[in-house]
Amino acid sequence: MYTQESTRAAARGLIDAIPDVVEEFRCPICKKASASYDSLRRHYDECHQEDIPPMMVALTLNGRHTELLVPQHWSLQRALQFKLGLTGAKHMCDKGVCGSCTVIIDGSPALSCTTLVVECHGKDILTVEGIAADATWKPLVDAYCRWDAMQCGYCTPGFLVTAKALLDRNPNPTIEECNEALAGNICICGTYPRHATAIVEAALKIAEDSQAKGGAA
Amino acid sequence: MRPFSHANAQTVHEASVQLSSGNAKAIAGGTDLLGTLKDNLLPIYPDKVVNLKAIKNLDYVKQEQSLLRIGSLTKLSAISEHPVIKEKYSALSQAAGSVATPHIRNMATIGGNLAQLPRCWYFRKADNRFNCIRKGGEECFAILGDNRYHSIFGGSRCADTPCMSQCPAGTNIPAYLEEIRKDNWDKAAEIFLSAHPFPMITGRVCAHFCQSACNRHQTDEGVLTGGVERALGDYILENSDKFYKKPTKETNKSVAVVGSGPAGLTAAYFLRRAGNKVTVYERMDCAGGMLRYAIPAYRLPKDIVEKIISILENMGIEFVLGHDFANGITPEKLEKEYDGVCYATGAWKRPIVGISGEELTVFGLDFLVEVRKWMDGKVGEEVLVVGGGNVAMDVAVTAKRLGARKVTLACVEPRERMPASSEEIARAEAEGIVIMPSWGPSKVIENNGVLNGMELKRCVSVVGDDGTFNPQYDENEQLVVSAQNILLAIGQRVDLSFLGDKYHLQLNERGLIDVDADSQRTSRPGVFAAGDATTGPATVVSAVSNGKKAADGLCLHLGISTQQDNPGGCASVTVDANGITCTTSLKLRELDINKRTLETEDSQTPGVQEAEKEAKRCLNCGCYAVSPSDIAPALIALNAQIVTHERTINAEDFFNAGVMTSTTLGFDEIITEIIIPALPDGAKSVFKKMALRKSIDFPIINFAIVTGSEPRISLGAVAPHPLRAMEAEQVLRGKTLDEKLAGQVGEAAVRDATPFESTKYKVQILKTLIKRALLELA
Ligand SMILES: Cc1cc2nc3c(=O)[nH]c(=O)nc-3n(C[C@H](O)[C@H](O)[C@H](O)COP(=O)(O)OP(=O)(O)OC[C@H]3O[C@@H](n4cnc5c(N)ncnc54)[C@H](O)[C@@H]3O)c2cc1C
Ligand code: SF4
Ligand code: SF4
Ligand code: FES
Ligand code: FES
Repeated sequence: MYTQESTRAAARGLIDAIPDVVEEFRCPICKKASASYDSLRRHYDECHQEDIPPMMVALTLNGRHTELLVPQHWSLQRALQFKLGLTGAKHMCDKGVCGSCTVIIDGSPALSCTTLVVECHGKDILTVEGIAADATWKPLVDAYCRWDAMQCGYCTPGFLVTAKALLDRNPNPTIEECNEALAGNICICGTYPRHATAIVEAALKIAEDSQAKGGAA
Repeated sequence: MRPFSHANAQTVHEASVQLSSGNAKAIAGGTDLLGTLKDNLLPIYPDKVVNLKAIKNLDYVKQEQSLLRIGSLTKLSAISEHPVIKEKYSALSQAAGSVATPHIRNMATIGGNLAQLPRCWYFRKADNRFNCIRKGGEECFAILGDNRYHSIFGGSRCADTPCMSQCPAGTNIPAYLEEIRKDNWDKAAEIFLSAHPFPMITGRVCAHFCQSACNRHQTDEGVLTGGVERALGDYILENSDKFYKKPTKETNKSVAVVGSGPAGLTAAYFLRRAGNKVTVYERMDCAGGMLRYAIPAYRLPKDIVEKIISILENMGIEFVLGHDFANGITPEKLEKEYDGVCYATGAWKRPIVGISGEELTVFGLDFLVEVRKWMDGKVGEEVLVVGGGNVAMDVAVTAKRLGARKVTLACVEPRERMPASSEEIARAEAEGIVIMPSWGPSKVIENNGVLNGMELKRCVSVVGDDGTFNPQYDENEQLVVSAQNILLAIGQRVDLSFLGDKYHLQLNERGLIDVDADSQRTSRPGVFAAGDATTGPATVVSAVSNGKKAADGLCLHLGISTQQDNPGGCASVTVDANGITCTTSLKLRELDINKRTLETEDSQTPGVQEAEKEAKRCLNCGCYAVSPSDIAPALIALNAQIVTHERTINAEDFFNAGVMTSTTLGFDEIITEIIIPALPDGAKSVFKKMALRKSIDFPIINFAIVTGSEPRISLGAVAPHPLRAMEAEQVLRGKTLDEKLAGQVGEAAVRDATPFESTKYKVQILKTLIKRALLELA
């Protein structure tokens, strides 16, 4: 059975499993192993001049430094799903229309399907797994559950990430501000009216929690 | 997405160098570009994507003196929220805030927004499955399809429409049809005559390649361009004084044209039009060549040809008839006495097929020339015509109308490759002529010099591997057709014996006058040639086409400028929204089969109204896509300038590009900055957008207005490129805004709109929104 605790632990587990550094420099074409990225590039120069070599990208993902070896034309969404095992940023319209793939890049919500992973070098990225693993955001998840702000749930990670980015910027949003911030997330099940309510409620709870924390400290 | 390599440019210079080498695309926010790559929309998929975001110092909003400067990499979210922009340039902040979604505004840059591609969803169809005009295809699906996101102020013309590209004379067909729609026949005539002097002829006898190519065939029935052309031709003929004038200036150069068929007459016309003294030498007793002698009167009445000759005489062209070069005027002499010579002597000579009994047959062209000789049943009961071209059809139909009971036509080509036009084949079959494709002549059946018929053999292929005419037969499959007369309507040859042995003119391997394809120049300086003498037996319109080329070539040689302007040029194109919904084409009124004769025309010229109705069916094939940018109209209204690493362009001119591109940007040109001047004192600005959903959707309508002493109104996504509504600005200028004036400005802004039936609502909404926006500012 899934509980918030088990889900949080699972998310933590996924994040912990993200590799720090790339250890295997295997040629995707002929499968030959190289000792380093430089020697993989030399291998391309020698054997695959017509082909485009993968790139090394280093970024901070959900608070962890990570490096990955990726094809140059891959989107961030694809790299998250297929290189790093994070499936929270959903593959949906793949054209920037629906918001299901939303992640937070350097503080603002952005679409991972319409971002090239090679352009994320040096960036700080937060995905829904990072939010799920962080107990600070339990009130947001609680509010989403209490208000049933989802049906099939496919769009929900995108909404949640957008909501988190909003609360970072504006800890006390109005219903209108919530709706405006979520204007780039589409839900085919039609759960729209619930989200703003959930977010406003979560905002109050988070403020309470932090006051309590502040009070305790 | 398919693979590409990715490079971070550190400087603008580096980016432009990267873009100029090979096939690369710039990426800024990527919100447009990556979509186009995923859907594989670009004509050529880039092998490299050059990232501009790594360039430093292009992400800024700053005020310097009275100018606002915005770096091209500034995000739309930053622009919409910027306090100075919000306060002083509200149209821009409203426009930026209206784009797409908050997520996209966080990623998208102002530079990328200006350079984005249109959002026509036929164009955006993944993997180019619809090859619309903008993608290099031939048809625009939006004209008869869903055009909600399209222009209501006309479309933009592509280089060549299918009809135009098929017309050998290059007549600007959609342009003259557009004038006819507007009931402006004089302008239509002017457009036509600038390419081709004789629509009254080709309107009747041309194979109308334009008509077969017409895009409307793909939806219902093609536009009967030939019929409209004929109506225009007859209008021109009736008002010939207006259209065929003596040149206003004489050049004092003289030219001789030899031959007065369509090529010679066309050359003579354009040479005279340019101001030269023109003399036409003709071998026969009447001018007109094939038009006069070969094409039967039931297709082209002789009085039309005669009228054309007298029109040309009135223009000052001199005709010397019965000239056969035996009277001392030799080619050498022509060359000496005239500043230029053009040979257009056609293809009149009988070929030798090499079958036994050939001398008993009659050459088809001679038959047509001497048709009177064959009256009174002399043609016989049964006639066999050999040949599959238009001349053969004319010969067969003429024989039938002369009284032959049974006319059979045999040709080596299979039916689908017969050179005759489908119209002429249909005419022949309608009169009961039996067509036998894939049969070639074997031998004449005779009895003591009396012809009884012909043995035919099965033809199995017509052209050899090298593409030349080389028929192959199955000698075992034979058949005899009985006939009292055999008319050989095949392969008229070019006869240049009149040039004599000493006059050397370069001929090609086919025995035709060798000419330069662009200028029709021959091997002798100042000597040009056109028509069948240079091509072998072809068509009237091809003779017209190279007759004009020869005239232009000769003028160039003589240092005379010809009128090169192209009336009806490249402006935006419009359709008749109601007219295009008509799915059936004009049909010519024709005489009943049993009433047809040799002398009266089989069909009638359509009336003015019929022609106008048909012209209204023309889709005016252009692209009706718009720039979807919400930023564009705001920048135009704010009188902004777009700075690239090479130049500074007024926002107004930036989008004014042809159909294949959306902006005037070069492929390696990079937008670096947007500069907006301060608004005049007291002026305010506003941007409005109507979309299906408030968020995400592209504009169905957008516009921006700046008020004050110099008001500016720009309509965005409703025209092929964002427009200034100049007339509306004029209405607004210098007056105090009230409800009445606001309404008048709205009216003026939409005055030139030409919506489709299904987008008329856009005109109404645009008008109303403009009024409301103005009242908000009042
Ligand atoms: C779902 C969706 C909805 C949208 N809705 C709207 C809308 O309502 N209104 C609207 O106006 N737009 C809309 N857009 C389009 C979007 O605003 C533009 O795609 C965006 O502004 C482009 O900016 P970018 O930086 O992402 O451009 P990119 O995608 O990076 O580039 C677009 C094009 O511009 C070229 N380019 C980029 N920067 C430069 C430069 N500095 N100099 C020269 N060329 C350059 C690129 O080579 C490319 O061809 C929408 C897009 C999406 C995906
Ligand atoms: S409007 Fe333009 S882009 Fe759209 S289908 Fe027509 S030609 Fe293509
Ligand atoms: S619809 Fe008009 S412009 Fe298009 S091919 Fe036909 S005649 Fe030409
Ligand atoms: S999947 Fe990225 S916006 Fe829809
Ligand atoms: S909950 Fe199903 S798509 Fe939003």
